[in-house]
Amino acid sequence: MNGAMGKVLVVDLTARTWKEEKIDDEIYRNLLAGVGLGAWYLYRNIPPGADPLGPDNILGFTAGLLTGTGAAMTGRWMAVCKSPLTGGWGDSNCGGDLAPAIKQCGYDAIFFRGAADRPVYLYLGGREPEIRDAAPYWGLDAVEAEEALIRDTREKKKPAVAVIGPAGEKRSLIAGISNDLGRYAARSGVGAVMGSKNLKALVLSGARLVKSADPRGIKEVNKEYAAKIRKSNLPELVKGGVLPVMGKVMGSMKSAAPMDGIITAMLLKRYGSTMNNTLSIHNGDAPLKNWGGSEKDYHKGYYKSLNPDRFRKRETHKYHCYACIIGCGGVCDIGDVKEGKYAHTHKPEYETAMVFGGLLMNRDTDSLFYINELLNRAGLDSISTGGAVAFAIECYENKILSPEDTGGLELTWGNSDAIIRLVEKIAAREPGIGELLADGVKAAAARIGQGSEKYAVHAGGQELPMHDPKIDPMLGTVYSADPTPGRHTTSGSLYYSTSELWKRVSWLPALVKHPKTAEYEPTPEEALKNVAYTSYKMLVDGSGGCYYAMMMGVRHFKIFEYLNLATGWNRSPDEYMEVGKRIQTLRQLFNARHGVDMDSFRMHPRAVGEPPLPRGHNQGITLKIDEMIRQYRLGWGWDEKTGYPLPETVARLGLTELLEKEAPLG
Amino acid sequence: MAKTVPAFIDNICMACRVCVIACPFGCLDMTRTGIDRYGKAYPELVSPETCTGCGICARECPVDAIEMV
Repeated sequence: MNGAMGKVLVVDLTARTWKEEKIDDEIYRNLLAGVGLGAWYLYRNIPPGADPLGPDNILGFTAGLLTGTGAAMTGRWMAVCKSPLTGGWGDSNCGGDLAPAIKQCGYDAIFFRGAADRPVYLYLGGREPEIRDAAPYWGLDAVEAEEALIRDTREKKKPAVAVIGPAGEKRSLIAGISNDLGRYAARSGVGAVMGSKNLKALVLSGARLVKSADPRGIKEVNKEYAAKIRKSNLPELVKGGVLPVMGKVMGSMKSAAPMDGIITAMLLKRYGSTMNNTLSIHNGDAPLKNWGGSEKDYHKGYYKSLNPDRFRKRETHKYHCYACIIGCGGVCDIGDVKEGKYAHTHKPEYETAMVFGGLLMNRDTDSLFYINELLNRAGLDSISTGGAVAFAIECYENKILSPEDTGGLELTWGNSDAIIRLVEKIAAREPGIGELLADGVKAAAARIGQGSEKYAVHAGGQELPMHDPKIDPMLGTVYSADPTPGRHTTSGSLYYSTSELWKRVSWLPALVKHPKTAEYEPTPEEALKNVAYTSYKMLVDGSGGCYYAMMMGVRHFKIFEYLNLATGWNRSPDEYMEVGKRIQTLRQLFNARHGVDMDSFRMHPRAVGEPPLPRGHNQGITLKIDEMIRQYRLGWGWDEKTGYPLPETVARLGLTELLEKEAPLG
Repeated sequence: MAKTVPAFIDNICMACRVCVIACPFGCLDMTRTGIDRYGKAYPELVSPETCTGCGICARECPVDAIEMV
């Protein structure tokens, strides 16, 4: 089929066997590839109740339907599994160079079943898949291991490598999977699942090409898109020091209106995601002091430490994921940091900068770069690790953890030396405080007790990202009710306002300027926006699209056109949005099959505003979260009490037939 | 050395790496800098001796920024 390779590779690590499975065109038509194909495969093949760290779990690496077709901004891959953090559906999205490599090896996805009895890696590049001994690489950090595997296996072209670091090997539940020397699929605990299978890495070295129905048409869309991106440049007069003012202006606005998403490109081209650093502190977006503080606690003198111009100064060159025409990433020189232990690192993302900056009240910019590389090498999720450190600091400040418990570390706000030491202990899963925090805040609070759960900020076991839903209630709903809780890249009001979906989708009313207060009301209209944007997100995740492209909206990132040109389907935006709804409902159906208590995903009271913050931008706000969750579930056609998809919704979306298609293997 | 090799048109190229990853022979890399104000790295033929002149890079380029010359 055009766009797809038409088959997946299934590797049984226990038996050390592999087989190829052809995928019916109907699966692609209904669920695309990427997350949709992954959800379909895992739903049918992971038995209910399976231990996420046991051999019954399946770990998948999926490429999007548009990846390799030439469509711009479609180089993302996804790791999928049952999540050990939430006990339900797990997925994690990543850029880098792995997505095209999966398809160049002839597959749309690679699934791993069982568990190897000793460390192995998968090599694809010869005539047949090979399960090779990974003993020489086990114990190496993720960067060292990737470099060594490329050195040892390279023939002609450089292979793409997905790899875990020591944290994944030690099954830390907050471990992720790296590719391209530090681009991470970090969420849902996917690195722990890879470690539980004794799978150190995938090394992919294929050179197949992907067929498209109309490659010339795709290029024409690309050229129009590229011309806009090329022209979108932030005026030189705008410096990083202006961004807190922009944040203040944004935060003071009493109304919201549609916006042109191309502004995202301007900021990303120069700063990458660090554009948010100081801007977010002033508009109430950034949670500070473990969600208990506000910009009032963040003294103006601190701003220079997070000024994105400061981050740019270390950038030696920009970094692009495959097929990216923006280049939000960067490679940074850190040879002068901490006795020059590391020469360079990927530019820290906003999430990393804010979680180790604002959330911990840390003003030491160099420490952010150093920690970034520590995490990339250890193979840890920066959001979850930073959340765990914040939790520990607050426990220490409140005498729940003693100096003996912390191994002598003085865990006070902003103590960057202690924070670095603690990250090293978590990375190594060092007995004591490292071991305690290595599985995230929910597990740590359960072990400590003593009321510490009030400092453990998470949703369903997933630490919350650096976006406070008190300025964007739609975010709070998806934090609390999505199949993968605690995600900032699923949906939100600001994102919706740049999407222009309402101009292409028949069932969406036009978005007009409206009072911001309307977004705080748990109405069916707000739920509908959330359903629409999340469906769009599922479409993007099934296609291999980038979230930043998505934020530019469908006028600029022409996903509907790309899909038609790649596949030859000639379907309407409405039909594609139905695909998005189907994928989302299937992810939730996975949670239903595994008996996940969806109410347990309700986000931490601090994120809800229970009790409300006493001062700052978000002062006095408490979200009507329970009613918002109810409306959201109704909007999808899910049971308002359990959150599980209703039988009529499953049938209407055609999932009943799809899930019965061919005999499952499990 | 192949009869024809890729030549990159810098004012069209978006530095997206598609050509580098498509090349079956590993001939290209993102090594040229100093071309734009952002400090992007642009593609370059780093192994001309292994280039066969197959033209896959030019065919796969999303914005037609490669000519085989």
